[in-house]
Formats: sequence, C-alpha cells, structure tokens
Amino acid sequence: MDIVTKAKINLFAVLRNIQDLCELDDVSKDIIKNEKTSVSFNVPDVGCATLVFKDGKCTFEPDRSSAQLKLWFTSPDHFNKLVDGEKTIPIFINILKVGFLLSTFTKLADRLSYFLKPTEELLKDRKYFEINTILTAYTAFFAMCQIGNSDEIGKIVASKIADGEIACGIPDGLQVTITVKGGAMSARIGKSENPRAIMQFADLDFAHDLLNGKTSSYKGLGEGKFLIKGKVSMLDQMSKLLNMVSHYLK
Amino acid sequence: MKLNSYVKSTELFKRALKVVPAGIYGHLGPAEGCAIPITAFPMFSDRAEGAYFWDVDGNRFIDYMCAYGPNILGYNDPDVDAAALAQLKKGNCVTCPSELLIEFAETMVDTVAMADWAFFAKNGGDVVQFATLVAKAKTNRKKLVLVKGFYHGVDPWCQHIGSSGIVKEDVVNNFYIDWNVPEQFEQLVKDHPGEIAAFVSTPYCHPAMADSVLPAPGYWQKIRKICDDNGIVLIVDDVRCGFRLNLKGSDYHYGIKADLECFCKAIANGYNVSALCGTEEMRGAAEDIMYTGSYWLSSVPFAAGIAAIKKMKEFDVANVINEKGRKLTNGLVDVAKSNGFKLVISGEPSMWFMRLDDDPSTIMHQEWVAECVKRGVFFTNHHNLFINAALTDDDIKYTWDVADEAYKVVRQMHPELNRL
Repeated sequence: MDIVTKAKINLFAVLRNIQDLCELDDVSKDIIKNEKTSVSFNVPDVGCATLVFKDGKCTFEPDRSSAQLKLWFTSPDHFNKLVDGEKTIPIFINILKVGFLLSTFTKLADRLSYFLKPTEELLKDRKYFEINTILTAYTAFFAMCQIGNSDEIGKIVASKIADGEIACGIPDGLQVTITVKGGAMSARIGKSENPRAIMQFADLDFAHDLLNGKTSSYKGLGEGKFLIKGKVSMLDQMSKLLNMVSHYLK
Repeated sequence: MKLNSYVKSTELFKRALKVVPAGIYGHLGPAEGCAIPITAFPMFSDRAEGAYFWDVDGNRFIDYMCAYGPNILGYNDPDVDAAALAQLKKGNCVTCPSELLIEFAETMVDTVAMADWAFFAKNGGDVVQFATLVAKAKTNRKKLVLVKGFYHGVDPWCQHIGSSGIVKEDVVNNFYIDWNVPEQFEQLVKDHPGEIAAFVSTPYCHPAMADSVLPAPGYWQKIRKICDDNGIVLIVDDVRCGFRLNLKGSDYHYGIKADLECFCKAIANGYNVSALCGTEEMRGAAEDIMYTGSYWLSSVPFAAGIAAIKKMKEFDVANVINEKGRKLTNGLVDVAKSNGFKLVISGEPSMWFMRLDDDPSTIMHQEWVAECVKRGVFFTNHHNLFINAALTDDDIKYTWDVADEAYKVVRQMHPELNRL
C-alpha cells in the first residue's frame, strides 16, 4: 500500500466527510452550531485542505491552506496515524484555537468514526443506516479518485478511462459524479447532466450491501438492483479502482 | 412484432447466482457480455440449430454471436455431428490417442498455408500460451511485444495490470505498442537488442468496445521483416479470425507467413479443440516443452474438426460468410440511414463491429441492440459479431425488419433527436 495515496484518501475522501456529516447528522449539527472558525490540514507530498465552520454549516475546501488554525504534519504517515486513531500530535499554529481542536474537532472525528465503523446493532436504526451508507458511498467514490490519481497501478487504470462524466447513484437519491479528463479523476456530489456512463443502484439498501461486500454487482444485475449503461469501458476501469479502495481502507 | 419475455431465464439466473460465481461467468455472462439492460437478454439456451438458438423461454434468436465464434457452419451441422457421434461410440478420452490425432494434424497441415505441424489443446488461450513458450524456448529470450488493447486469453501474462488477481510481475515481460505502427516495434527492438522472443498479435485490430481496424498496406510485411532481421518469432493469434477470413490462415490472407499460428473457435464448428500450427523451424522447441492436459487428445473433437474442415473447404466458407456479412451490414447501414441514424461498420464482414455514430455514451446503440434482442435478433453491444454459413437471405431480411422497428423505438425514446 502506498502511504501517500492512503494519506490523500484520508484527507480528500475520509476527512471531507465531515462536511456531509454536519448536514446529515443532528448531533454533529449541534456540535458546530456556534462555531465560526476554520482549520487546515497540511501534509507533505499530499496537499492541503481546509474545513470551514460558519453559520451552522461545514464546508470542505480542498487545496486551501489558509485557516485560523493550521495543522502541519511531518509526513503522510504522521497524518495517517491521526486518522487511524493513533495518538499523535500535529504541529499547530494559533494557540488560541487549540480548544477547537481538542473539543469540537475531536467530537466530530468521533462522530465520523461512529458512522463509518458500523455494527449490526447500529445498522438496525434506519437513520444510522442511511447516514452510514451515504458516507460510505462518498468515501468510496472520492477515495477511488485519489487512487486513480496517485496509486502506481491506479494511475495506469485511470489513464485508460475515456474523458467524460460517470454518474453513480440511486434514482432520486444519492448521486456522485466522477469526472475524468486525461486520466485525472475527480468526484463531486450531485447528478451528472450529461454522463457518458451510468452506474445505478436501485436503492440505498442495495448500495449498502454492495459497498460493504454483502452482495455482488452480479447478483444485483440478476435481481435488477444494479444497472450499468453507456460507455462500459469507463465502468470496467472504474470498477478496478473501486476494488482497490477496500485495500486502502480496511 | 412480438416482444420476448424471459421469465424462466430470470429464474434460472437467480438460481445460478447461488452456486456459480457471477451466475454465468466470463464472456457468456451478462456482465462481461454487456447485456444492457439485462432484462432484454436471454440468460440460458435450450437448443440450437443452424443460424438460430432457442432460449429456455422458447424464444428463437437469429444468432449473430455464433457462440462468440465457434459456430461457423451452423449449429448442429449434420455432417460434423455425425462424425463426432460415430467417434463417440468408438471412444473419446482414452489412454492412447486415436489415429484421428494424426488425421486431424494432417488436415490442419494441408489446410493452413504456414503449417508444417499441428499441436492440439482445448481453448484458444491454451495454444497462445504454448506459442509464447515455444518462442521463448526457441530464442532463449523472455520479452513479448503485444499490441495495446488486444485480447489473447485469460492467462495472467495477457491480462492487464489493475485487473483482479493480476500483479505487476505477471506482465513485467510485456512491451505494448500501438496497432499499425511498426516503427514502435522497430524502436523496441533497437532499445532491447536480444531480449524480445516474440511479436504476438491478432491478424487485425478487433478489440471489444472499439472500432475494428484492418492492417495498413504493408504493415504485416514490415512486422515480418523486423522479426526476420532480429530473430524474433512471429505469433499470429488467429483464434477469433481463423477460417473466417481465409481457410489458409489469416496470415496468408494478409500476405505473410507466421512462425506460429493459433486456432480455436471455428476449426471444429463448436467441438472443443484448439490448435497451434508451426513451421518446421519451430518444431524442435515445441517438442522440448512439457505441455498437456487431460482432454487435449480426446478423439471426438478431432473427428468433428476433420469433418468441419472438409465441409468448410467444400463450401468455400470464408467467402460465403464474408459475402453474407457484406450483404447484411450494407442493409443495416441503409436501415439506420432511413431512420436518421448513421451506423458505423468496421472490420471484416464475416466478423464485423458496429456502433452508432454521434453517440459518445453508446447509450442509443445499447437501446437499439436491446430492442433487436427483444425481437429475436441476437446482437451484443460492444463485441464484434459473427456470421455463420447457415444464415439465409430470409434471416437477413428479417434482421433488417427488426433493425428498422428497433430504430423507430429508439427514436421514440429520444424526442430530442426530432428537434435537431
């Protein structure tokens, strides 16, 4: 496993979920309701991103380093350890905001971990199930793009994907658009208006089972719960990248 | 026209999913076979005859996939089946091979222009793999030059990095060049003197999901010369094209002589046998390699192959199916045009590839193919198609009628086309 790619996944796929967490989860909404601050994560060989908290909302801004609280990591591995929950301390600038790090951010990180590490018992709660599935899907698609852009084999695979948009999601529900241009991949939440290829899950339950390895795309095809259409070669290559996500996030 | 329903196929597929990985794995399955949407396609066949197969729901299809190539004379050809059944009564998989081993090898040598000997296995991949071993043994070199995107089977070395189960080391001895650019081969030879064992290629470019491209004038002659000048073995993977372009081999068809040529699919009209043919110069290397399988010398497929090749010669099958393919595809282009679409045909007529022009997502083409399949004309979306000799003029006419109705349905699905 390439630690730089893993760090990119942790920053641009896992950590970015805090934005959606604060929208989907009432507890998280409450945690940030009075926050007005920003925190940036700066990781060598990986890049930077900033979480901005304002007006009861959180936005994740990739490639932005300016923030009230700046966190610097000594290496990709240093950052990976933080996301993996190991005790590690980043170098921070702005001592006045350290309270945010120890309080609000820690609470959000715990909340994110709660939703991304489900138990069968927790999944019986429909609201929990929905948030878990949506965040898992976002993590998978955003992580897949990082693999396509950074992992040695992932880059070879991504270079074979034709330019254009791939629409992934559920009709009238979860939607992620993958954009490929010259082998560079990016993801955004929202529906593609002009996709070249479509990967559709019938419902959130099937998406959950597929993303968690409880069913297969083949079974979904047979049961009419998984649909692909459009430029199949794009989906073929994308599937290879999706398969690699679990190796990075196990 | 009546539309097919697939109640039993669907039930069987669900049953299969419980005990068979992917339900139906590989190219006959709905995933690899790009059955889009799956509800338009049959999953399981019941029987086949001539140019048709019937699925388990009783729907009849004019089959333009021909089992992905093996059906060249027509399913259940009476002469081929009679020869196979007669041999089955005498013996099939026996401790000693039957005399038919020699007779089939003699048939191949008499038929394929480059062949001085023939070696038999089961699948195309078996003999392509063997060809690379022969080339490495002959040259004492380890590198292979392949053409980007070409399919040579499922052995790890001919798959692509990033595919499940394939690691970097599996493909580390491969170089890849673009089709129709012999200069890239020339450069590789210069950069890696004494390292390249073989150049491996299909006779022309017929990848899935992209237009087929025929060899440019002089292309194969240039490749042959580079191989000759540098002691590189020229392997022609004729598994898919074999006997559909020319019974003497596709290398002969394009004006060269391969050192090793791989056959499968059409050589026994569906009976399971593949063949590697080689020149005298390659014989010693082939003899030195231990390469075998439990069923490779079974007699029934040999009997079928001998009968099939005899009949193919009598029929002049390659010319017949290319003529049928030309007639069919010209008509399909006309039908598309009359409905305001442009159908693009590429490749040799007996195994053509088709797609709609101005359809970058290919969704409209997929919709059209689905409507054809629902009406009993079996196309696949993104693989080349195949013609067999049993196809009649009536079948071709019926196909045009189905294609016409299917294009009209697609046009109704896309009102935006009428606004253009």
